[in-house]
Amino acid sequence: MSQITFLNEFDPARTFSYDERIKLLRKRKIAQTEEKARAGGADEDDYGLIEQDAFHYRLKPSHPNGSIYGYQAWTENYTAILREHPIYCDPLDAFAAKGFLFLERLRPKDKKWNPDYPYDNLQTLFDRYNIISGVDNCHHFTPDLEIGFELGWGGILEKLREQKALHDETHAEFYDAEIAVVEAVIAFITRAADEIGKMAEIEQNRQLSDNLKAMSAIDRKIAAGKPETFREAVQWACWFSMLSRTYNRGSAGGQLEDMFNRFYEADIAAKRLTDEEAVFYLACMFLQDSRYFQLSGPDPVDGHDKTCRLSYLALEAADKINLACNLTVRVHDRLDPVFFKKSVEYLFKNKQGWPRYTSDNALVKGFMRSGYPAELARRRVAAGCHWMCIPGMEYTMNDTVKINLVKVFEVAFNEMMSDAGVKPSIDRLFRLYQKHLKIAVDATGAGIIHHLTYQTKSQPELILNLFQHGLIEKGLNITDGGANYYNMCVDGSGIAVAADSFAACEQRIDMEHRLSYAQLKRHLDENFTGEGGEAVRQMLDHSPRYGGGNTLGDRWAVRISKLYTMLVRDLVEQYREKQINFIPGFFSWSNTIFFGNAVGATPNGRKAGEPINHGANPNGGFRKDGAVTAMCNSIASIQPNFGNTAPVQLELDPGIANDPEGVDKMAAMIKAILASGNTLLNINIIDAKKILEAHKDPYKYPDLVVRVTGFTAFFAMLSEPFRELVVERVRAVNPEAEETAATECVCDY
Amino acid sequence: MTTGILTGIQRFSLNDGPGIRTTVFFQGCNMHCAWCHNPETIPMKPKLMFYPLKCVGCGACIRVCPTGAQTLCGGEHKIDRSKCVSCGKCVENCFSSALVMSGRAYTVDEVLSEVLQDREYYVQSGGGVTFSGGECTLQSGFLIELAKACRANGIAAALETNIDLPFEKLQPIFSEMDLIMFDLKLADSAAHETWTGMKNERVKENILQTNRLGIPMIARTPLIPGATDTVENIQAIIDFLAPLEHVTLYELLNFNPLGGSKMDALGEENPFACTKPLKKDALNELTEALTIPDGFTVRIR
Repeated sequence: MSQITFLNEFDPARTFSYDERIKLLRKRKIAQTEEKARAGGADEDDYGLIEQDAFHYRLKPSHPNGSIYGYQAWTENYTAILREHPIYCDPLDAFAAKGFLFLERLRPKDKKWNPDYPYDNLQTLFDRYNIISGVDNCHHFTPDLEIGFELGWGGILEKLREQKALHDETHAEFYDAEIAVVEAVIAFITRAADEIGKMAEIEQNRQLSDNLKAMSAIDRKIAAGKPETFREAVQWACWFSMLSRTYNRGSAGGQLEDMFNRFYEADIAAKRLTDEEAVFYLACMFLQDSRYFQLSGPDPVDGHDKTCRLSYLALEAADKINLACNLTVRVHDRLDPVFFKKSVEYLFKNKQGWPRYTSDNALVKGFMRSGYPAELARRRVAAGCHWMCIPGMEYTMNDTVKINLVKVFEVAFNEMMSDAGVKPSIDRLFRLYQKHLKIAVDATGAGIIHHLTYQTKSQPELILNLFQHGLIEKGLNITDGGANYYNMCVDGSGIAVAADSFAACEQRIDMEHRLSYAQLKRHLDENFTGEGGEAVRQMLDHSPRYGGGNTLGDRWAVRISKLYTMLVRDLVEQYREKQINFIPGFFSWSNTIFFGNAVGATPNGRKAGEPINHGANPNGGFRKDGAVTAMCNSIASIQPNFGNTAPVQLELDPGIANDPEGVDKMAAMIKAILASGNTLLNINIIDAKKILEAHKDPYKYPDLVVRVTGFTAFFAMLSEPFRELVVERVRAVNPEAEETAATECVCDY
Repeated sequence: MTTGILTGIQRFSLNDGPGIRTTVFFQGCNMHCAWCHNPETIPMKPKLMFYPLKCVGCGACIRVCPTGAQTLCGGEHKIDRSKCVSCGKCVENCFSSALVMSGRAYTVDEVLSEVLQDREYYVQSGGGVTFSGGECTLQSGFLIELAKACRANGIAAALETNIDLPFEKLQPIFSEMDLIMFDLKLADSAAHETWTGMKNERVKENILQTNRLGIPMIARTPLIPGATDTVENIQAIIDFLAPLEHVTLYELLNFNPLGGSKMDALGEENPFACTKPLKKDALNELTEALTIPDGFTVRIR
C-alpha cells in the first residue's frame, strides 16, 4: 500500500530544482497508479486517490438498511471523516491535499436512494428500456470557486450564520448541516497545518523542510482566510478538490484563467512569483487530481480572447508532468492562433489525449436556443467528460442520465414481430420506435423530476452547494431550488447501432428482399449461430453505415437524432410550470459494455451482449478507408444543437504529425471538425503497435494514458473489456493497423 | 454521361499533396512497376480480388459464378483464374468482402458528391482533391470533366502521374490542375524499362515541357531497395530536376510493403515479398551522400 508521508527520504544537503521535483513526483504518481491498477483498477477518471492502509472509515448508517440519507447523516459521517482523515503530505510537492475515499461510495450499492421515496412504477420502465435514470446520482455540475477565493472558508461560515439568522426554522436543517461541514473543513485544514508544521521539524533536508514550513503557513492562513497569492489560491483549489471528492467525488474544475490569472498577475507584478514557480505550482495541481479545466475562450461580455501568459504556462505544466490531464481548449473566432498551434504541438508531443477541443460557436448558438443570452452561454465551460456547465449557476445531472437507444429498438422490433396481424415493415418498425422512445424519454423526465424533488432526502450537496451564487441566501439544497438554472442533461446512447440496424433492415429486407423479417428474427434469436447465420450476419454488417458519408445509415442516424431531440425538448413543455430545461445529447460514458450486455443481437450484425457504439461515434468498420473526415461529418450531422455535446472520439496515429506540415494539417483538421458543426473533440494519439502490445501486457507501459470516453485514464488501470474498446476504435480508423503490427513494424524506419 | 473506372476514393489523405485531401484512384496504368503497392490499379479493367481469410464458406459465389471458376474443395474456397472473366457476380453476393472487384464505374456527379463532403477540411488546410491511380491520365475525358467540376466548386485539384503519355494528350489535362506530382523512378532508361516496362525518354521530355507550363510541380522517386535507392540514381535525378524552376519539391518515398496482400488477393507473385523499407541509418547515409543545389528542396517521406 502507498505511503502517505515521505520524510527524510533524501540526503539533508541535497537540493532540488523544480523540474527534478516534478520528475520525482511524477514517478511517485505512476507507482501509486500501478498500485491502484493491481488492486483492481477502475474504468473511470483518476481522481488522485491514494491506496493506503492508514485509514479506513466505517460508515455510520442512519437507516436499518445500512445506508445514510439526508442532511444529518451526511453531515455526521462527513465531519467524522474529516476529524479522522490522516494528512497526506509529500515534501517535494507544493501542496498537501490528497484523499483516500469517497463517502458517496461507502454506502451499500443498492441502497443509495432513500427508500421512503420509491419510484417503482418508473423503475419498471427504466428496466424495460435499460435507462440509467440518474436518480440519486450526484455532483456533475460546476462550482464557482471564485466564491471561495473571495470569502475563504471563514467568510462562507460567517455568511451561513448570517443567513441562518434571517430565515425561519424551515431552513434550519440546511444551515445547521452546512455550518457543521464548514467548521469541520476549517478544523481539518487547521489540523493539516499543524501536522505539516510538525513534519517540517522532523524533515532534515533543509529545502524540503522549508517547503513544509511554507505549506503549513499557507494552510494555517487559508483554513479560514481567503487566499491572496497564486500559491495560496492553487492550494485552496487543491483542498477544495480533495474535500469535494471525499464527499461525493464532486466536480472541481472550471475556466483556469478566470480562476487564477488575477493572482498570477498580481504576484508577477509584485515580484513574488516567477513563471518557473507558476509552472511548478500548476504541475503539482495537475498531478494532484486530473480535474477538468478549460483554457481560452471568449470573454462573455465583449468576446475578446481570454488567452494569456497563464494559458501557455498551463500547457507547459501539463507537458512537464506528461500524464493524465483534462485540459480543454475552447476554439472560438478570436482564438490566439499561436496558442492554438502550441496546444496541437503538445497533443502530438505528449500523446496523452490532451488537450480536448470545443467549438464555442456550436455550443453558444445551441445553448441560446433555450432562450439564454449569448453572455450567459459563453460562461458555460467544459468541466466534465463531455459536459458543459456555468460555474456556480446551473444544476444539470450532466452525464448521469442515459437512455439505451438500442434497447428501445429491441423493444420496438420485438413488439412488431409479436403482432401476427400486421405485416412487418421498416415504416411500422419506426412508428413503434417512436412510440417506445417517447415512453422511455417521458419516463426519464419523470425520473429527473423525482430526483429533483427528493434528492435532498437522499444526498444533499453539502460541499458544492456553497459555491452556487445565491444558494446560501436561499437556504436550499441545490436540487430544492438552490440553483439559478436547471438544465437537465439527457443523453442517448447507442445511436450508431440503432441507425445501422434500421438501415440494414431497410436495405436488405424492404429494398433488396434478401430475407424476411421473420428470418431476421430467427437469426437474431439464434445470435447468428444457426444455419446460414454468419453469412446473414455478414450481409447485415456490410449494409450502408452511419459514418460512411451520406449513406442510408447516416440518414437513419439523423432521423433518430431529430426524433430524440424533439422528444427530449418536449419535456420542457411538460414541465413548463417547474421552469426546468431539458437538453439532449449523445454520449455513453463508460456504459458501452453495460448497455451492450442488456441487448440481444441486433440487425446491424452485432452479436448479443457486444458493446454498443461509443458515444456518437460510428460502429467499427464504418468505411473501408476509416476516413476521419467522413466520421466527423456524420457526427456533426446528428448534433442536437442545444448546447450539450455529442463528442467526436478520435484515434490518430502519431506518424501523422511526423512530416514538416503534420502539425499544421492536424490543427486545420481540428478547426474543420469544429467548424462543420461538431461540439467537442477528444483525440487520442496512439501508436497502433504500442496499444496492441499494451493490451496484451498493460504494465509494459505503466505511464500510457488514453482518453477513454471524455475522461483520461492510465491504460493499465482499465479493465480488459475497456482496453478492448479503445483498441477497437484504433482499429476502426486504422484499417491496416493489425496488418502493420503483424508485419515488422515500419514505424522504426 | 461520362463515366470513369476507379478503384476507390480515399478521404482524409495526408500524403497525396498539401493539406487534407481526398484521393481518387483510377483503374489502369501504362507502366507495370515491379514494386507497385497498388497492383490492383494496373489492369485497364477491374479484376477480381480474393481474401481467403475473410471467406465464411457460405457458397453464394459458387452458385452465381457463370463459368465455374469458384469452387469449394476440401472446405477451402479456390478460384481458377483461367476461367474467371471478372464479371463481378460473385462479388455482388459476397458480404464478407472476401471477394471484391478492384474497381467499378463512377459518374462525375458521384465522385464530386463524395469529394464535396470534405470541403471544410480543404478550406482549413489548403487541401483539395488528388487524382491518382493507376495512371489517371489514361482516362483523360473523365479526368478533365471531373477536375473542372471540382475546381468550379472551389476545390483545388492535384494530379499524381507517371507523366508518360504523348504530351499533346497530357497538356489539356494539366491545364485543369493546380499542382502536378510526377514520378521519375530511374534516371537510366534501360533500368527504367527493366523495372517498369517502359523507357524514360518521353517521361523526361514531358517533365521539361510541363515545366514550361508554369504549374507548380512536385517530383517523386520511390526508394525501392535494390532498384532505385542508389546514390547514383538519386543524384542523377536531382541533377536533372534542379534547373526546373517550377519543381518546388523533390520527395523520396520510402518503400511501402503493404501492396503484398493485394498481390496475393490478385493471385499474383510479389517480387518484393521479403523487402523492407530503408531504415533511418540508410536514409541518412543516402541523403548525406547527395549533392543538393541551393534552393532545391529534397524531403524523405
